[in-house]
Amino acid sequence: MSAPEPILHLDRMTLTARIGGAAVEVLRDICLAVPGGRIVGLVGESGAGKSMIGKVIAGLQPPGFDVTGGQVLFRGRPLPGSRGDLLGRDIAFIPQDPLSALNPVLTIGQQFDEHLARLGTARAARRSAMLSALGRVGLVDPQALCRRYPHQLSGGQCQRVLIALAFASRPGLVVADEPTSALDVVSQALIMRVLAGEQRSYGTAVLLITHDLRLAAHVCDEVAVMYAGEVVEQGPADAVLRRPLHPYTRGLRDAMPPLHGPRRALPAIGEFMPGLQALAQISGCRYAARCPVRSPECVRSRLALRERAPRQFVRCGVACSETVQAGVSDAGGGAHGGPTGRPDWDGGRTSGPDRNGGPKSGADGNGGRTSGADGNGVFTSGPHQAVPLLEFRDVDLCYESPRGLLGRRRGAVQAVRAASFRVDPGESVGIVGESGSGKSSIARLALGLELPTAGRVLVDGADLHLGAGRTSAGAPSGLRIVFQDPQSALNPRRRVARLVTQIMEAPDHRRPLPDRLARALELLQQTGLPADCMSRYPSQLSGGQRQRVNIARALCVTPRLLVADEIVSGLDVSVQSQILNLLDRLRRSLGLALLFISHDLSVVRYLCERVLVMHRGRIVESASTEDVFLRPREPYTRMLIGALPPEDPDQQWPPAADAIAADAVAAAAAPAG
Amino acid sequence: MNDMSPALWLSRGTALAQFRAASDSREVRIGAVIVGAVALIAVLAPWIAPNDPQNQDLLSTLLPPAWSSGGDARYPLGTDSLGRCVLSRTLFGARIALTVALCAAVGAAVAGSVLALIAGYAGGRVDWLVSRAVDAWMAFPPVVLSLLLMVGLGTGVFNVVLSIVLVDWTRFCRVVRAEVLVVRRRDYVAAARLLGFTHFQIVLREVLPAVVPLIITLVSLEMGIAVIVEATLSFVGLSVPASAVAWGMMIADARSTMHEAVWGMAAPVLAIFITVMGFNVLGDGLRQSTDPRLRNVRA
Amino acid sequence: MLREVAGVVLRRLAGAIPVMLVVSIVVFVVLRLLPADPIGMMLPPNATAEDAAALRAAFGLDQSIARQFVIWLAHAARGDLGVSIHFHVPVTRLIAAALPATIELSAAALLLALAIGLPGGLALYAVRSRQARLAASLFVVTLLSVPSFLWALLLLLLFGVTFPVLPFTGRVSGGVALPGWTGFALVDTLAAGQLGAFADALAHLLLPALALALAFAPLIMRVLRSSLLEAATEDYVMTARLRGVSEARILLRHMLKNAALPTLTLIGVQFGFLFGGTLLVELIYSFPGLGNLMVQAVRDHDLPLLQGVAVVFCIAVLLANTLVDALYVVINPRLRSVR
Repeated sequence: MSAPEPILHLDRMTLTARIGGAAVEVLRDICLAVPGGRIVGLVGESGAGKSMIGKVIAGLQPPGFDVTGGQVLFRGRPLPGSRGDLLGRDIAFIPQDPLSALNPVLTIGQQFDEHLARLGTARAARRSAMLSALGRVGLVDPQALCRRYPHQLSGGQCQRVLIALAFASRPGLVVADEPTSALDVVSQALIMRVLAGEQRSYGTAVLLITHDLRLAAHVCDEVAVMYAGEVVEQGPADAVLRRPLHPYTRGLRDAMPPLHGPRRALPAIGEFMPGLQALAQISGCRYAARCPVRSPECVRSRLALRERAPRQFVRCGVACSETVQAGVSDAGGGAHGGPTGRPDWDGGRTSGPDRNGGPKSGADGNGGRTSGADGNGVFTSGPHQAVPLLEFRDVDLCYESPRGLLGRRRGAVQAVRAASFRVDPGESVGIVGESGSGKSSIARLALGLELPTAGRVLVDGADLHLGAGRTSAGAPSGLRIVFQDPQSALNPRRRVARLVTQIMEAPDHRRPLPDRLARALELLQQTGLPADCMSRYPSQLSGGQRQRVNIARALCVTPRLLVADEIVSGLDVSVQSQILNLLDRLRRSLGLALLFISHDLSVVRYLCERVLVMHRGRIVESASTEDVFLRPREPYTRMLIGALPPEDPDQQWPPAADAIAADAVAAAAAPAG
Repeated sequence: MNDMSPALWLSRGTALAQFRAASDSREVRIGAVIVGAVALIAVLAPWIAPNDPQNQDLLSTLLPPAWSSGGDARYPLGTDSLGRCVLSRTLFGARIALTVALCAAVGAAVAGSVLALIAGYAGGRVDWLVSRAVDAWMAFPPVVLSLLLMVGLGTGVFNVVLSIVLVDWTRFCRVVRAEVLVVRRRDYVAAARLLGFTHFQIVLREVLPAVVPLIITLVSLEMGIAVIVEATLSFVGLSVPASAVAWGMMIADARSTMHEAVWGMAAPVLAIFITVMGFNVLGDGLRQSTDPRLRNVRA
Repeated sequence: MLREVAGVVLRRLAGAIPVMLVVSIVVFVVLRLLPADPIGMMLPPNATAEDAAALRAAFGLDQSIARQFVIWLAHAARGDLGVSIHFHVPVTRLIAAALPATIELSAAALLLALAIGLPGGLALYAVRSRQARLAASLFVVTLLSVPSFLWALLLLLLFGVTFPVLPFTGRVSGGVALPGWTGFALVDTLAAGQLGAFADALAHLLLPALALALAFAPLIMRVLRSSLLEAATEDYVMTARLRGVSEARILLRHMLKNAALPTLTLIGVQFGFLFGGTLLVELIYSFPGLGNLMVQAVRDHDLPLLQGVAVVFCIAVLLANTLVDALYVVINPRLRSVR
């Protein structure tokens, strides 16, 4: 079955810009064809250039960026210089952040109406066209919705509106730029379902830009993987996911923590993608610097995309042979802090039933464990301690809105309800939930940044809050927190050396200068940062490096419990795997306990022995990791797990809408705990 | 790795970098030159002025500038209705203007910023109280309040400075407080608290350095405003006593003889305009070089 | 929406009352610090101590400050602001005569400022090339550096003296009589059908209003330009562009409405600035408004008049702020509750 005529054809397109005085090929030799009626995925990490391709298609690339080679063909003809006519009509875009993509001072109806007017719909027909379009994407009560403003809608609802807008003109091509990155897991599944549905009914071609390889493999017919402005691999979706031929694709796939099956180490891809300025100096393969199987040939000469397997194209000098494949996974340890590529921990690879026999609720803890790996291969702590390191007993936290005039409070938000759990020394506990579920509040309560409105927070058996509700200055001893956003967590006016040893300026831990410098160096080594970072400012570091500095600061005076609040969200997969491996290594060497908060289930599965699932402030499920993932009890947990794109491309995803709905209804109706 | 010196710890590194960034801006340089020139004139006035500004030469009243017919070389810009040299008076007027500008701006900055730091950091009742006070204060049209204060306090340079400080502290308070609130919410403030630092230490080490660039920008702009307020007050006759020289006073005097002797009014008008413009250009340049740069610096 | 607007207005007005109280106290106290003695200035040279004491008692100046304030407040609540020491006429009457003139002047100034500032801001934003942008910046800064009383003098020189096209004294020319219905010259003359008088009043209004407007307009220009620049980087602009909406439409329909918000805020904040400008401008043009009255009161140390005028000014500023807040709720949908 041959592919239909491509509706979009990027034929060896090259985009050049002058950066720092040199001409840099920002996009090089892009060959991409989107057949009519098919979905093609464009996968890459941040900085790979995938969004730039979208801009080139729209003709809206930044000033100074010019197409200097090849051409962009739409429906077989080169795109005209001014594409205003095509945009919104035959080529439609779906943006990344739905809430900010709509004008906040105009109603949904007004914006839709304007679009329909531009499409030439008669005034009389506009209203009905609008309502039917909104109904198609699954929005309830479109009449009322049209009168609302974007800030009154949820992210998922806004994205549905944007999808409706895009398909309203029956375009030939829809470019969806990371349409679900800003949404939570369940919304993501729902939105992808809507998108796929619209695509099927109109037979539109879709170019889906995303950083999630798994998601692309499920939704798309074909996938192209980008790295540093080049397409490095391209082929049918399931083939690329199952048998990636390019070392980078393989590394990308393996760096995502698995959701099912035996736990394996995450081979980390060391270093990071070259920035625009560095690209000018690279003459050969752009991935060579990080590639474990590179040859001198790779570094010297530019390579072209070649077909190495049926319909699978790769840009690599070394790819494809079996031995090479093995070499890649072996060497996938990378330069920074990853374990060697053996797919096994010392605990052995068992996929059998849980050794502890059945799930237990959190308050009792898990009895009788021995140190080593549990059924998932996660490093576990020693025998159950009598006095837990951190304990929550029936904790409530209620945020009251600020007083209005006349001192009346206008409403309260119950962030945490009746939370009870414990963390033993050396244990790693994960807290999973969507945004607004209360996970960050747990972190703040544990550190004493917030006072519980009810219940007790105990550290080492002692109450954290002394009587009158005041805590002593400083965190409870031995507890440190790593905040989510290193941009906000690191004072931009301080150098790294001073930041990581900040605690040594406090009266209790004061040390002389040479000690501080020595310790700073130690910390940088421990977290895998190069020594010359010592004198840099946070703004001069990459996202991954900043997060390491954040972690290093928390380790300065070795803590007993580390609270990590969403520290890998927003990081690229390759950087994320580095950080996860780092945390794992630190746990083993320092015997740290870890309270790991994340919305990403796969990451939590990788790191934690036990998992607490939170929903609207309550802990709805609390069990060992294996139990939660293999035998989820609560409908909400089932919904969360079901909403993730599975690793096996053959499995059905997105799941049927009614399945999600059923779980959602059950979750909403579930009583406390 | 040759940086292993205690110089690493000097956070003054950012101050130096910011200073350099600021001086790169063309606007800052132009503004600094203008302000510098005016300041120089003010300091050197007793030496560069051709005549004594208070000396009345009743035989040579309302003379035109030296280059036009009827002019006298002794009085380069002519004389006013009491025979006093216009140029000398203009040059001496700079002294009052700049003294008032500097003292008032710094005073308002200190008063407003301290309250802003306290209110923004402490939050709660203290913040509420300070905000209400600022609101009440800002219900006055600024000139009105300054006038009232001058009526109540009496004339004199110190009183002028005081009345400007008492009016304009609110401007600093409001703007700086907004910035303090932003910084307060940053995680690094919470992180510092968790490391055991006292509130006072945190304000001094984490919050204050973040708002200093903003304060400096505002001071520059405030100096321009202070010059205008002083001129307004002296126009009405409520600024410095008649024994001193102020530009507004010169304008008021020259107004009645505007038709015959334009230069008596033009000189102080130009002087005010140039001085205020210098401060505005400087302040604008500072605002652009400190604010967005800091936010946009990324790896 | 109406409910929200009414709510905002009521809340503001309720909050204004304590502010007014504080303001009156402050004014009262400040004026009582006076080194000079107004009584002393009013007495004839051969007055005795008893005369002085009697006069002082007549004006209530022999009692404690707190008591004086309470008395004043009680009278003010009834609409009696005392009697002017200099004019020997009730303060309220003087204010009632002067207030409409100032309101008219301020309104005209605001309209002119918007007429200059809004298109100016748009033009400044639309400028693309680097040199033009720098020139535009410097232009705005230059305009900003000229305070309103300097504009007043410059305009006076230019259009009053050098090219005598416009009148620059008073509110109306000598022979014209205003029907004193509302006190607003333009309204009254128009209503009475006296078109000649209307034109005359308008001509007299022009220079002072222009002076105030020229000082205010650059502020509007600057904030409009910077909020348009900010709006240009927002996601919804890019999304609209990707939908094929024309640049002109994006600017006028999408960005302008968003940029109006900070502009409105600025106008509200700077209202006091506008009113303050009327003091000197009215003085320079001998315009019989509140500002002129205040300057006179200051010169004469006329305490009751000063007190009354200051309080009225503050009321005006608070009312203007309330109006701005109400408008803000109308324009910004985020401030309205979910239906």
